[in-house]
Amino acid sequence: MRHAQRAKAGLYALLTLVSLAVLFPLLFSLSISFQGDTVAPRLLPDLGKLDLGVFGDVFRKEHNLPRWILNSFVVAALVTAGQVVISALAAYPLALLRFPGRTFFFFLFLGSLMIPWESTVIPNYLAIASLHWKDSYQGLIVPFLASGFGIFLLRQSYRTLPKELYEAAALEGCGRTRYLFTFLFPLSRPALATLAIYCFLSTWNQYYWPLLIIDNPVWRTGQVGITAFRSTEIASFNLQMAANLVVMAPTIALLIVGQKQFVRGLTAGALKG
Amino acid sequence: MGSAEWEQPTLQERRRELRGRIGRFQRHWMDFGPALLYMLPALALIAAFTYIPFLRAIYLSFFVVNRNTFQPSHFMGLTYYLRVLNIGDSPFGDIYLRSLLTTAVFTLMVVPLSIVAAVGLALLAQAKLRKIGIFRTIFTMTVTISIASASVIWSLIYSPNVGLFRGLLGVLHLNSTSILTDSHTALAAVALTTIWTSLGFNFVIALAGLQTIPKDLYESAMIDGAGHWRTFRRVTVPMLGPTLLFLLVIATIACLQAFTQFKVLIDSVGPDRSTAVFVYTIFDAFWMQNDYGFASAMSVVLFLVVLGLTISQLRLDRKVHYQ
Repeated sequence: MRHAQRAKAGLYALLTLVSLAVLFPLLFSLSISFQGDTVAPRLLPDLGKLDLGVFGDVFRKEHNLPRWILNSFVVAALVTAGQVVISALAAYPLALLRFPGRTFFFFLFLGSLMIPWESTVIPNYLAIASLHWKDSYQGLIVPFLASGFGIFLLRQSYRTLPKELYEAAALEGCGRTRYLFTFLFPLSRPALATLAIYCFLSTWNQYYWPLLIIDNPVWRTGQVGITAFRSTEIASFNLQMAANLVVMAPTIALLIVGQKQFVRGLTAGALKG
Repeated sequence: MGSAEWEQPTLQERRRELRGRIGRFQRHWMDFGPALLYMLPALALIAAFTYIPFLRAIYLSFFVVNRNTFQPSHFMGLTYYLRVLNIGDSPFGDIYLRSLLTTAVFTLMVVPLSIVAAVGLALLAQAKLRKIGIFRTIFTMTVTISIASASVIWSLIYSPNVGLFRGLLGVLHLNSTSILTDSHTALAAVALTTIWTSLGFNFVIALAGLQTIPKDLYESAMIDGAGHWRTFRRVTVPMLGPTLLFLLVIATIACLQAFTQFKVLIDSVGPDRSTAVFVYTIFDAFWMQNDYGFASAMSVVLFLVVLGLTISQLRLDRKVHYQ
């Protein structure tokens, strides 16, 4: 008994130590944000003079910060909504309807996953620039509205539902479109949530594309904003870290609220390989 | 009535069968229209932003592209591909081949350590303790942190003003002020940031992989008197094969496409081009030199490398599963 308890305590100690190591960069940035404007930050802040006003200061010093966060929200929310709806529609015939060329279309969608985004970025940039979509929401959103991954994920989820359900509904006179809205959508809610969280996270964290198509500081997203803010004159270490934490907070909150869906989303990604 | 007549379908039956076949045929084609309609938005978008740009990148890779009109002007043939591979007279020498090599070195720094660390964390997180969920959340944490944010944090950790790594430079007898500006350490510093950022994702996958291993395998190993290490080597590692392969491929592809951490931490090709990885070099040709044709050729090369990896994964996957 004694031995088991000691082993347990040792395991907790090890877990805590490893957790501190994993969290170190985050804790360090939190520590620096509280240290006030200093050129030589230390590992731990002086607890006597913690500068708690830094999160207010950063909004005063960088007027665009709320706008950057708003931009990130608008872009991530609309890309997520679009990707969920468009994938849910496209996955339906691939999973349940029988029509000529179904395999062809399936591989067409699957094949798009083989092309790295970085391989298409130059023509995409040239096209968006020609359309005068730089510095705009449509330029940030439209290229990401459809993804082969989302279609593949939802097709797999639709296929786990019994085929008899579809046949029975058809016999009762339920049309194709009504079946989609009254049965498929509600029944595959976990898969839709998974896709939504995955999509929101990856859009929120995008960097390369917004870096290319945004010139006007007002249109920056959070990610591009903090990296640009970092190289300005006013950005002392504590303000840099505060701005960074402000931009990170929503996705960390998302993890804590929706961890189950989160983990499911990531492991669903694992199945695609 | 003989049995032969039974097998011979009557005219009526034949008609019915034919009608059935036509019916099925019609039904299939009847579904074709609606199916296309459901897929239309996805088809249009994926064509417009994946397939067409990809084909256009291949096309542009054979031309000098005008900087203002974005239209191809002179045909260059394979010149750009030869330049990447340093074949023939190239005023650029081997910098592009070297950037492929730098990418490979970077990948080797990141991938093995990432996977070992993630599996280690996953083994720890399997402990049957109360509140283990908290530790799992902590280990998952970095999955929510973007590469850009992580790089901003690490740029501070590496900052000479903070001095956390000052000792390291002394130990290595290097004279640079920061480990990001020394050609010996810069790539490793970016690699460390990358390992930290990818830890959460790799942990989630490794833990999910561990949880699929049937418990009775461990029980029989225990009955056979196998120790911890033996059980790990003989049960855990082989059963984790497909997961490890998946992690290996995903992590490798992510390293080949790495850009953000190099842009934020280094923002150039680095000291002595030591951090000029391939995608950063594409960005440099595309964004800094506006050499759209050459940058397109490099992005086609990137596609081919990733494709090669994906195909070898599919091959290996079969082996791992059939073991």
